Amino acid sequence: MEKAIRKFWPIFVLPTLGAFAIGFLWPFVWGVYLSFCRFTTVQNVSFVGLQNYANIWIDNTFTHAFFFTAAFTVVSVALINVFAFALALLLTRKLRGTNLFRTVFFMPNLIGGIVLGYIWKTLLDGVLALLDRPLLALDATAGFWGLIILMCWQQIGYMMVIYIAGLQNVPIDLIEAARVDGATDFQTLVRIKIPMVMSNITICLFLTLTNSFKLFDQNLSLTNGLPGKDSQMLALNIYDTFYARSGPQWKGIGQAKAVIFFIVVAAIALIQLRATRSKEVQQ
Amino acid sequence: MKQTMKRKKRRTDVIWTAALSLLCLVYIYPIALILFNSLKTERAITTTRIFELPDAETFASLENFVYGISEMDFLASFWYSLVITVTSVLLILLCCSMCAWYISRVDGKLSRTMYYLCAFSMVVPFQMVMFTLANTADTLKLNNPFNICVIYLGFGAGLAVFMFAGFMRSMPMEIEEAAMIDGCSPLQIFFRVVMPILKPTMISTGILETMWVWNDYLLPSLVLDIRRYRTIPMAIQYFRGGYGSVQMGPMMACIIITVVPIIVLYLVCQKYIIEGVVAGAVKG
Amino acid sequence: MKAKKVVSLLTASVLALSMLAGCSAQPAADSADGAAESAPAAQEESVAQESEVAQEEAPAADGAAGQVYYLNFKPEQDEDWQNVAALYTEQTGVPVTVVTAASGQYETQLMSEMAKSEAPTLFQVNGPVGLANWRDYCYDLSGTELYSHLTNESFCLKDGEEVPAIAYVIETYGIIYNKALLEKAGYTADDITSFDTLKAVADDIQARKDELGVKGAFTSAGMDASSDWRFKTHLANLPIYYEYKEDGIGSTEAIKGTYLDNYKQIYDLYITDSTCDPSELATKTANDATAEFVNGEAVFYQNGTWEYANIEALGDENLGMLPIYIGAEGEENQGLCTGSENYWCVNKNASEEDIQATLDFLTWMITSDEGRAAMSQEMGFVTPFDTFTDEFAASNPLLQDADAYIAAGKTPVDWCFSTMPSENWKNMVGSALTAYAAGTGSWDDVVTAFVDNWATEYQLSAAAAG
Repeated sequence: MEKAIRKFWPIFVLPTLGAFAIGFLWPFVWGVYLSFCRFTTVQNVSFVGLQNYANIWIDNTFTHAFFFTAAFTVVSVALINVFAFALALLLTRKLRGTNLFRTVFFMPNLIGGIVLGYIWKTLLDGVLALLDRPLLALDATAGFWGLIILMCWQQIGYMMVIYIAGLQNVPIDLIEAARVDGATDFQTLVRIKIPMVMSNITICLFLTLTNSFKLFDQNLSLTNGLPGKDSQMLALNIYDTFYARSGPQWKGIGQAKAVIFFIVVAAIALIQLRATRSKEVQQ
Repeated sequence: MKQTMKRKKRRTDVIWTAALSLLCLVYIYPIALILFNSLKTERAITTTRIFELPDAETFASLENFVYGISEMDFLASFWYSLVITVTSVLLILLCCSMCAWYISRVDGKLSRTMYYLCAFSMVVPFQMVMFTLANTADTLKLNNPFNICVIYLGFGAGLAVFMFAGFMRSMPMEIEEAAMIDGCSPLQIFFRVVMPILKPTMISTGILETMWVWNDYLLPSLVLDIRRYRTIPMAIQYFRGGYGSVQMGPMMACIIITVVPIIVLYLVCQKYIIEGVVAGAVKG
Repeated sequence: MKAKKVVSLLTASVLALSMLAGCSAQPAADSADGAAESAPAAQEESVAQESEVAQEEAPAADGAAGQVYYLNFKPEQDEDWQNVAALYTEQTGVPVTVVTAASGQYETQLMSEMAKSEAPTLFQVNGPVGLANWRDYCYDLSGTELYSHLTNESFCLKDGEEVPAIAYVIETYGIIYNKALLEKAGYTADDITSFDTLKAVADDIQARKDELGVKGAFTSAGMDASSDWRFKTHLANLPIYYEYKEDGIGSTEAIKGTYLDNYKQIYDLYITDSTCDPSELATKTANDATAEFVNGEAVFYQNGTWEYANIEALGDENLGMLPIYIGAEGEENQGLCTGSENYWCVNKNASEEDIQATLDFLTWMITSDEGRAAMSQEMGFVTPFDTFTDEFAASNPLLQDADAYIAAGKTPVDWCFSTMPSENWKNMVGSALTAYAAGTGSWDDVVTAFVDNWATEYQLSAAAAG
């Protein structure tokens, strides 16, 4: 059978492979090459070696964006997962209206980042004005927490659903048995429920990690990096360097920043792979 | 003893239900805020007056909606977003399920290469390829809503192939082998035997990809021929004027027009969506 | 059986390939009934593409003489441009596409569009600094009819003998005031001829605000992106203008900040005689300021002729514009701030036919009755071309004030802000001003941001370019 299928590879694999080549492989290789070049369009490319990489730090925006992104990632990953897990626990208690709650909490996920950003900008600016505090666009701290609130609002429901699925798989008799042995709610949570949903926790951690680290749309529409470039995250910083700064030198620098960004993201993904692998072995 | 515990549980349950109900209201509030502001006149939607409900003086009826739809050609954007999403998702489902079947049934260089390529594509951030991809798409004329699905296939294949392959590994091969013995070609086996079994995974994958393509902003804004086509996330940007003024009313109206269909769709197929999310998380 | 299999295999892969290639002209579907069944999505796909490609190529085919693609900067005039483009196409058969960039994204979209195969043939730069970035793309306009109709050499950007960019709209800004409210307070525009008189009037209105039924003399000076350019760019122009004038230069890589005390004076006036407390300014936006002015809650509003459409509701007879006096020497002869940051450039990398088509379109815009009417009456532009005779004057009361000051022998203030080193510089000044207004920063920070950063930013772009 394998032989028969193998002959049909042009039909089964070629379309996807072709699309890969066009939509991703070729642009990737070309992008790596361009990071060593000075260019504005593809017609006037000149090779400059590592100059772009050296010029990444010509201003401190990339470093700033990196630390802003790192701080944002840590805070949002922690908050989202804690709240999502807590909600999942509550929604597996067979409360009245569980379905309604789940429906509502999940809903924000379906709204796109750009639209979400505008919704929250309107709301948060209104709140800040009521409190006589500077608007989002004028205060990087407000921008930071605005992004955190937005991400929590958007992502908690998603992670909650994954945690609920995990919690529902915890065998009831295990919990009953523990209760008969006199375990408190807290003990069952720490000793039984959390270890049983460990794989879900890993998944959620890494989903939120990559989502936060690569965040772009929400950043663009909520703060657009303002004030100055103080609330700019890495993805937006690259975009900004690439397209919004005019001058022939900036595109190469933007492409070089993108390569660095890719390496960081790839490193995170590798760690993720390791972590999930070792978890699977344990089970 | 048991009685008191039960009563205690019931009481805490009531408190939790109340707390969650409150949280629900907090969750819905941002959208409600946009909704009632979309019904107000422009001058009443400043930051300081954003929390005021529309009253007789500031009520604008459907003016903002009419303006937003007619002036911004919003329906066209809606249509393009729809075309892009539907074609891309169908193409992804078809090609990736075929590719995944090949990978999971044939062991060889090609299969392994494809597998690693898929993993690789899920890692690369879009900013890495945005410029070169826009250029490639421009050269190959993939810059309109009808062809852009090829690019989405290239970019969305990773997740889809993984989800399909994960499911197929657990699928028994006996039925396929029996069909083969009955003289079916691999194509027939795939479309008559494998496809029907794949249906639940198809739905899950389809939903995840739909959520991504429908809401995507950066890719279409760089790749599409902006002289002719705008998707919804792109169109929303156009409510800001040259000197910084924002047409708040029409913008709110268009946000509502964008959000409502998604919410309705979600309410209708909630079950599949949530299952899709869970499946995607566990397999991806 | 076997033969059929091979055929269906082949056709299916052709289909798959044609789908990927996108523009393949062969609808292989007819010949392949076996395969077509198995790949219905693919077939639909290629058919859809077929018709799309046909549609796209049609106009280019019959209008072989070239086409125009204009990337427009001003969202407010988008509709007017669309209409006039359609009209031109109707009359001449030359396709004209106008795309307007979303606000604040002109550079972004120009960058991404320029990289495409069908790049804009007509685009714009905001002045010398913008031109420096796009110099390689600018066609020399010196021999064109557009240039020959220019009323004044100062309305184009020159590079040696070449003319890479020509202004197409002249705008004016100053302090817009509500005539009725000013009269109610017992003053007319004639009472305000210097910074001291402006301050006296504003202070008096502020003191009697309850009696007059206003919230303040000036509208709130919001410092978010929708409004901060009024201060970090337009207001900052005045100290730069006076410094250049004193030193007899047109631009510099190191500003001295001679007139920054005057800048402080006027900014202090704006934020103290205002509708709100200085600390609240950071919560205000352009929409707030416009709303305050239109609702008659403030008398003065620093803005420009372009704002007319938003404040029209007050009635033409109630609108006027005053010069922005900052207390510099010789300001009794100062007029309104008039200039342009909108210069047309023709993409010299476009094909010859397209360049010609673009030049023809521009000539038509400034010479034909339809083009002139569109620019002056629909878009409300004052243009620097001699073809715009009296019947094509823009009907905007704010512009009439601008003319009146010139007629009275006052010298218009140039727009020196096009020589500001970068967007980044403006943002730094803006942040410093915001902090100063809120009381969290000192005026020294503004001076640092203004003077030191000017040099830093110039060096930065030079370093990156080298």
